Amino acid sequence: MAGQAALETAPDPVLAEHERLLDLAALDVLGRGPEERFDRITRMAQQLFGVSAAAVTLVTDAAQVHKSQSGPLPLADGAREHAFCDVTIRRPELLVVEDATQDERFAGNPSVTGAPGIRFYAGHPVQGPGGHRVGALCLVDERPRHFGAEERALLAELAGWVQRELDRSTELESAARVQAALLPLGTPDIAGYEVAGMCLPSGSVGGDFFDWHPAPDGQLVLTLADVMGKGLPAAIVTAMVRAVMRSTARDAGPAEAVREAAATLHEDLERTGRLVTMCHAKLDAVGHRVRFADAGHGLMLLVRADGSFARPAGGGLPLGVLAGEEWPEGVVDLAPGDTVVAFSDGLLDLFDGTTDSLPQIAAAVWDCVDAAHVVDRFTVLARRVGIRTDDVTLVAIRRTP
Amino acid sequence: MIELDTHPTGAAVVRVDGRLTMVDAPAFRSAVAEAVGEAATTVVVDLSACAFMDSSGLGAVIAGLKAARQAGGDLRIAAPSTQVLTVLQLTNLERVLRPFGSVAEALRAG
Repeated sequence: MAGQAALETAPDPVLAEHERLLDLAALDVLGRGPEERFDRITRMAQQLFGVSAAAVTLVTDAAQVHKSQSGPLPLADGAREHAFCDVTIRRPELLVVEDATQDERFAGNPSVTGAPGIRFYAGHPVQGPGGHRVGALCLVDERPRHFGAEERALLAELAGWVQRELDRSTELESAARVQAALLPLGTPDIAGYEVAGMCLPSGSVGGDFFDWHPAPDGQLVLTLADVMGKGLPAAIVTAMVRAVMRSTARDAGPAEAVREAAATLHEDLERTGRLVTMCHAKLDAVGHRVRFADAGHGLMLLVRADGSFARPAGGGLPLGVLAGEEWPEGVVDLAPGDTVVAFSDGLLDLFDGTTDSLPQIAAAVWDCVDAAHVVDRFTVLARRVGIRTDDVTLVAIRRTP
Repeated sequence: MIELDTHPTGAAVVRVDGRLTMVDAPAFRSAVAEAVGEAATTVVVDLSACAFMDSSGLGAVIAGLKAARQAGGDLRIAAPSTQVLTVLQLTNLERVLRPFGSVAEALRAG
């Protein structure tokens, strides 16, 4: 049957549009306001071509949104059905309308018959990570205009620049997904204990991480580390540090595991110019004891069931400072209802940024009903800060009362 | 802003004016490299006008310390703010980066 064959070969338009919208969402550029990286392209395009407006548009399910625009003619976001760019994204190549009044597709368009009186339009599609066309770099003018081969090539090249900017954000998003996938999934099931953790990078990816896994002896190994610096360069180093710690902590106690890892990592940290602060611990849920090694981390609190708190003392240098360092091992004994938290200095920034805020942090921890509550509380607090300048990471271990 | 001032005695003073963060870290590193390259045995980092140092800034100071020591010299910090002192204490780095009260004291220490 001919009808059947058509169904099998032609892409389902509803499904294709659904995938296109997912592609647009994956770019994460909608609803974020103007961004300089796109504005500089539209500014340049407007100047280069001497048009009334140059814009980067995004076509959503029902509307055309101007991500960036430049020029004396302001373009308003509007219904998709009247958008020139909606026609552009149906084809992979450049769309040029030299005089809209002479083009039957656009002559009756409200932005041609009425304000802003578009005559000339040229638009080149841009696509999302899945290859669906999601928007365009376009030029608009109120006068008809001839658009030659050289100008067409130039506009295509500028659209390639917009495309690279879009790809760059997608790449970061992918990196963020990989980094998030390297965090522990769920919480460990340990009789008499609750364990929870959070890691909120200030950007897409960050220099903090936490990790936990059971050791062959049945105890739980926990690591919280902060690679100095931010963003992708620091994120690359976190993956390396995490893997080395997983390996050295398998059969060694905390101090030995840190020493071994530091020796393994030293040359790489020197070459990349990075220091790493770290709190590495092992929870003995039978003996109710946490053994830990502190490598220049210093931010660990024991909050007792009665509300008093202490900072477990003792520690060594961050990793990457000196070769052949040793780290002392500290011990914290946990009574019912006691909580141990380790966190990155980004958490201090949610308060006054100094160690003067430790009593406030301890009070907030004490006020929580369980370890997950501690994590929820600080997550809410961190999310409330519009622009965080540092990654916020925390791990809580609580002995059930 | 980073300023380098070499003394005829073979010491160099690197002065940090304002903040020492990711932005200024490269300038700081090259100032220390220049001082070490000119065979300064002692590099004193004057932090009296440094209001804030983040982890990238701290990393740059440690890198400077390593470079100075590799060349057979030393790097000292002078007049750090409370914020910088807190960071040094928290990270145990005051053990390798002993703070001096002033540039003169750091220079006198030998």
